[in-house]
Amino acid sequence: MIGAVVALVIAASWHIEASPVEFAEGLPRLWQLIEEVMVELTTVTDNMAYNAVWAMLETIQMAFIGTMVGYALALPMSLLASRNLASRWVYVPMRGLLAMARTLPSIMWALLFIIMVGPGPFAGILAITMYTLGFVAKLQYESIEAVDADPMDSASSIGLSRLQLIRFVVIPESASHLLGHLLYMFDYNVRQTSILGLVGAGGIGFYIITYTKYLQYGKAVFFMLVVLATVLVIDWISVKLRDRYVVKSQRGVAADMP
Amino acid sequence: MSYHASIQSETHDIDKAEPDSCIICMEDVWASYDARSTTIREINMRVSAGSNYAIVGKSGSGKSTLLKIMNGLMIPNRGTIMVDSHRPDQHNRRFQSAMARIGYIPQSLGLVRNSSVLDNVMIGALPRMGALQSLLKRYSEEDMAEARRILEMVGLSGKESRKAYMLSGGEKRRVAIARAFMQNPRILLADEIVSELDSVTSRDIMDLVAVMQRDTGLTAIMIHHDMSLALEYADRVAVMQEGRKIMEMGIDHDHVHILDFQSGNLTTQEILEMYDDSQK
Repeated sequence: MIGAVVALVIAASWHIEASPVEFAEGLPRLWQLIEEVMVELTTVTDNMAYNAVWAMLETIQMAFIGTMVGYALALPMSLLASRNLASRWVYVPMRGLLAMARTLPSIMWALLFIIMVGPGPFAGILAITMYTLGFVAKLQYESIEAVDADPMDSASSIGLSRLQLIRFVVIPESASHLLGHLLYMFDYNVRQTSILGLVGAGGIGFYIITYTKYLQYGKAVFFMLVVLATVLVIDWISVKLRDRYVVKSQRGVAADMP
Repeated sequence: MSYHASIQSETHDIDKAEPDSCIICMEDVWASYDARSTTIREINMRVSAGSNYAIVGKSGSGKSTLLKIMNGLMIPNRGTIMVDSHRPDQHNRRFQSAMARIGYIPQSLGLVRNSSVLDNVMIGALPRMGALQSLLKRYSEEDMAEARRILEMVGLSGKESRKAYMLSGGEKRRVAIARAFMQNPRILLADEIVSELDSVTSRDIMDLVAVMQRDTGLTAIMIHHDMSLALEYADRVAVMQEGRKIMEMGIDHDHVHILDFQSGNLTTQEILEMYDDSQK
C-alpha cells in the first residue's frame, strides 16, 4: 500500500515535471535572495512600518467581519443541513448549496466579487464570508449531528418544539465545538485574507504582491514577517481561548461518557 | 424485609383492572428495531394511576424499549397501547399535549452537560411556556419559585449555576429527577436511575419519588437492576426476559402476590433467588 502511494507520488511528480534536481540547483539562489533581503530589511523606514501595521490591521478587520458574518449565516443553514434536525427534503438540498459555496477557494471568490463590487477590501470581505459559510457550516452540521441522542430524546419526549430543542439542547451540547470552529476559522481567515491582496481584494497582500512585482523582495519579506508575527499572536490567543472555553468543556463531556 | 408471597388466582390481572384506573395499558405489544429480530413480544401490562410499577430483568431483556414505547419514542409493530388515554406517538397531536406531563429519564439521564443545573431543570417547564418567552429564557416568577422548591427538595440548593458535567453521579440523577418533577408530571418513566449508586443514595432518590407520588398522585414506571429495591418500593413488579414479561408480582404491604406465575407459596428470599436464577 505504502509502495503504491510512493509510486503514485513519483509518477505525478514526473508528470508535472517537479524535479528535486531543480530544487537542489535553486538552493544557492535562495541564499543569495536571503542575503539581499537582509540588506534591504535594514532600509525599512518608519513610513513603511506604519503602512505594514495599518495594512495588517485592515486584513484582520476583513478577516474578522468575513468570519463573523459567514459564521452567523452558516449556523442556521447548518441546522437545516443536520440529519438529526431536518427532514431529508431539507438537508439534502441545503448540503448541496453549502458544498457549492465550499468548492471555490477564497481567492476565486475574491476574483468573482472584484468583478461585482470592484477591487478593494469589500470584495475580500465578501470572499471570506462565502468561503467561511461553506467551510464552517460543514463543521457545524457534523458537530450538531454528533450531539448525544439521549438529551435530544428526553427533551423531545416532553414536547419541546424544534426551536426549543435547538436553543436548549443542540446549541449548549455542541457549544464547545462551535466555539472551536469559530476560533479555527478566524485564525485560518487571517492567513487567507493576507493573500487576497494578490488579486486586488485589499489587505496586506496588496503590498506583498506590489513589492514582489517590482523585485523589492526585502520589503515584501518585511510585510510577510508582519503577517507571520500577527498570525503567531492570533494563534497564541486562540490556543488560550480554546484552553479556557473549549478543551475544559470537552474534558467535562468526555469524563462524563461511560 | 418480611414479605411473604402467596399465589393469587388472578393469572390474567390485565382483565381485572379497573379500566378507568389504567393509565398505561398495553395489550399484545410487539416491537423491534429492525426487521430481523423482535425486541419485545406479547407484552400485556396494566399500570394503575398513582402506582409505582417496577420493571426488572437483565440487559437486553427489552426493559428500556418498553419505556420508549410508552413515551412514543418508538412505535410498536403490533398490539395496542394507550398512555393517559392517548396512543403514544411523538407525531400524534393528541399525544403531544400529554407529553408535557410525562417525565422521561433515560439510563444516561439525558442531561444537557454544558448547561447549568437550573437550565436543565427549567427544560421541564418549557412545554408550558410561550415560544418567544422560552427562547429568551424569560421564566415566570412562579416557574422560578417552583424550580427553587424542587431543587431544595432534591438537595441541590445553591448549585443552580453549576454545569451538569461538573456534578457527581448522584447529583446528576437528582437533576434529572428535578427536571422531570418540573413538568408537574402525571407519569414518570425512569430507566435505572439508581443503578451504580450506593444504597443510601439509591434510597434517598427512591424516597424522593415516593414523596412526589404521595403528594401529587404521580404514576411511576421504573426500571430497576436491583430486585430488592423494586420489591421495597414498587406496588407491582414485572420481570422481563428475552423480550417477554415472564412474571408479574403485586406487592401489598408485607405480601408479594404472584399474579401470573404458578409456582407455589414463596418468600421474598425465594423470589430473589428465583430472579437471580432466571438472570443467569
